[in-house]
Amino acid sequence: MGSVARSPLDQRERSQGASGGITISGVNHEYRPPRGRPVLALDGISLEVADREFIAMLGPSGCGKSTLLYLVGGFMPLQQGRIVVNGKQVTGPGPDRGIVFQNFALFPWKTVRDNVLYGLEKQRLPKSEREEIAQHYIDMVHLAGFEDSYPSQLSGGMKQRVAIARTLAIKPDTLLMDEPFGALDAQTRSLMQEELVSIWTQSPTTVVFVTHDVREAVLLADRVAVMTARPGRLKEIVDTKMDDLPQSEVMKTRKYLDMVDYTWNLVREEAIAADSEKDR
Amino acid sequence: MAFLLPPLTGVVTRMFHDLFNGRLAIDIGITLFRAISAFSIAAISGITLGILISRVRPIRWFFDPLLSIGLPMPKVALLPIFMLWFGLFDASKILMAAFSASFQIVVTTWAGTRGVERELVWSARSLGASERQILWEVIFRAAMPQILTGLQIAMPICVIVVLVTEMVMGGQGLGDSMLRSARYVDSPGVFAGIVEIGLLGFCVMKTMEVVRRRLLAWHQETQKDH
Ligand SMILES: Nc1ncnc2c1ncn2[C@@H]1O[C@H](COP(=O)(O)OP(=O)(O)OP(=O)(O)O)[C@@H](O)[C@H]1O
Ligand SMILES: [Mg+2]
Repeated sequence: MGSVARSPLDQRERSQGASGGITISGVNHEYRPPRGRPVLALDGISLEVADREFIAMLGPSGCGKSTLLYLVGGFMPLQQGRIVVNGKQVTGPGPDRGIVFQNFALFPWKTVRDNVLYGLEKQRLPKSEREEIAQHYIDMVHLAGFEDSYPSQLSGGMKQRVAIARTLAIKPDTLLMDEPFGALDAQTRSLMQEELVSIWTQSPTTVVFVTHDVREAVLLADRVAVMTARPGRLKEIVDTKMDDLPQSEVMKTRKYLDMVDYTWNLVREEAIAADSEKDR
Repeated sequence: MAFLLPPLTGVVTRMFHDLFNGRLAIDIGITLFRAISAFSIAAISGITLGILISRVRPIRWFFDPLLSIGLPMPKVALLPIFMLWFGLFDASKILMAAFSASFQIVVTTWAGTRGVERELVWSARSLGASERQILWEVIFRAAMPQILTGLQIAMPICVIVVLVTEMVMGGQGLGDSMLRSARYVDSPGVFAGIVEIGLLGFCVMKTMEVVRRRLLAWHQETQKDH
């Protein structure tokens, strides 16, 4: 039984090794609201994310980061260009790409436990195994004791952690995270960052991580993609692979501090550009 | 012309009289049976149609104008047609009430399903839910507060329309009894009927509230009270 269940998994991992990662080529996206004028959110984005690479996206608010994530997730139809994830062209959403939404998108009528269980139920795992996995991830995001709470009874940061647990629980091949730590206080954020890094070191997956926090981006990511003000283009990709040190050590190195400084300046330029755009 | 206002004691005595000879139980039972049957039909068909309208474009296209015409119309005005088609007994009364109440349910269900946050549907989809599961496990659940509001409006409509049809067509029930009392200038009987209808309405509305609180235990509105 065990070996039968394993073989498709092994195959999956092998095929990933050959053509894994994400290829985004020539992607444009224009929002056309029924009223008002169309908004060009993305303009000619091309980006290669290597298999099991951790890439962070930075850019001013409204530059199209969420839009790009939605397109990789397959939630919106692609208007122009091509997106290939793990060798498969994206045509719709699927559990191979897990996403943590900026606004959490928890099911408000389900308890914390049932939210985390939802994806596992769709995988037809035995009940006891499902519950074990769910509890593991609930513990991991430090929400033990809140299993039976509804989202409306939780703080913003707690909701965000439920959303992270719900997505991690289905073990997606690719992780799309839209400001997953945005609502957390500094201490919890740092704990969650360490947690994410340790998950990622144990079983590396391709991660696209949107954030507004330059230090976080440099600390976590192999590369940081900085986007321009709307319409979103790629401004520069910064190599930020840090030495293999504990996080607290990395943050003291010269290399890290220089990298943060450099990236910070790139982001600042665009934030200023976005600001002057508004005044016009 | 003198207004006939019975003394309170007369009304209360009359109600006790009705209560003990079983009249009241029979009348309330019959009216309630009709109202609840009508409500069930209206709920099932209204929710189904509301969801279909929000999902299937040709159905939306067809029903949108009909709803706009039908919603503000006093549906009981069609009672003669219902009498003609469904006879003078329970069927026409129940269907008349169901028809009147279903409009509210369709409209609130439609509005509720339309307003579901897209990220909610997307997360379900990316967690592996099928389209069918998304409809029942996400869209329907997310629209529940509004659907229940529609049902809460529909229930009193069912009671009202059933009472009106009983008054117009007879065939027992609270409405029929009350009108019969009026015909014999039995003013304690009329006022007892009004009080009885009031009590019935009160019980029905309170039951609906309890059901709502049960079903929406997760919702913020139910948490303010604690
Ligand atoms: N549903 C929509 N309809 C119309 N325009 C939209 C819609 N969603 C986003 N936009 C527009 O597209 C642009 C990019 O939006 P997006 O949400 O991708 O930005 P973002 O980079 O994620 O911003 P933030 O950092 O604030 O989350 C915005 O300027 C916005 O005006
Ligand atoms: Mg965003």
